[in-house]
Amino acid sequence: MVGSLAQPTHLPPYFKLRKVSSKSAREREREPSLFAFAMVLLQPDPFLNELTSMYERTTERGSVWVTLKRSSMKSKAKRNKMTSAGETIEYRCLVRATDGKKTISTVMECQSKLVLLSFEYKLSAKDHLRFQASYATILKAHMSALKKRERRDKKKAGDGQTKQEDLKKPPKKSSS
Amino acid sequence: MVYISSWDEFAERSIQLFRADPQSVSCVLTSRYVMKYRHCDGKLVLKVTDNRECLKFKTDQAQDARKMEKLNNIFFTLMARGPDVDISEVSGKEQSEAQPTKKGRGRKQ
Repeated sequence: MVGSLAQPTHLPPYFKLRKVSSKSAREREREPSLFAFAMVLLQPDPFLNELTSMYERTTERGSVWVTLKRSSMKSKAKRNKMTSAGETIEYRCLVRATDGKKTISTVMECQSKLVLLSFEYKLSAKDHLRFQASYATILKAHMSALKKRERRDKKKAGDGQTKQEDLKKPPKKSSS
Repeated sequence: MVYISSWDEFAERSIQLFRADPQSVSCVLTSRYVMKYRHCDGKLVLKVTDNRECLKFKTDQAQDARKMEKLNNIFFTLMARGPDVDISEVSGKEQSEAQPTKKGRGRKQ
């Protein structure tokens, strides 16, 4: 039955027609889609919301990568132009997050040496701290699978190991 | 790729790596700080690299997550104000430590 579908000859092989039911949901997830590689640039608050849902989605399977990098967010040509013109390039913090399939990012304005109105300067510094605090809260809330330190190592070494195994077991049970 | 076993060593070397970023040469900042978390395995991996040297730290302990938060703050500050900032990083650390212990110190000098 698999070969019964007539394949479109005018399209590249990527667009093969396949019977949906013959594939498991996992295989279908793995198929590359055109939108999977687009990186979405968001404002800080939507980024944090999306990051939270990423952590929630990957509790049973998958990883979350978060990358912090300093960037000017300008192309090399523009940067070279600016340096040759003597303009200072403003750098920002680029924060990226991905779960292997979807990538989101946000840019944080930095409290830098630019001449700004004092009101704006305070606003951006506040937002910066607010983002930092929210980000730390999200991490703390979701990194719950890490082991707590067992301090009763002296007496109960054997029990301590079995306790750690018990911590591992419940997440596995929930996935099945 | 180097997995560093001591947290303090990882923190110190990664900050140094970030600071030494050759920004003036090509105006391209290559250092980045990556954090990977797998809830199903309970593993956290941190990586700091400038595409030449790579430092990694792997853990499954909750206490390291707390230390990582402090390191996050340091990196945010470094990236915000530039790699030349020296004092604010130290005071940032001290401030965050001093604030909860405000009771016995500070103004009774």
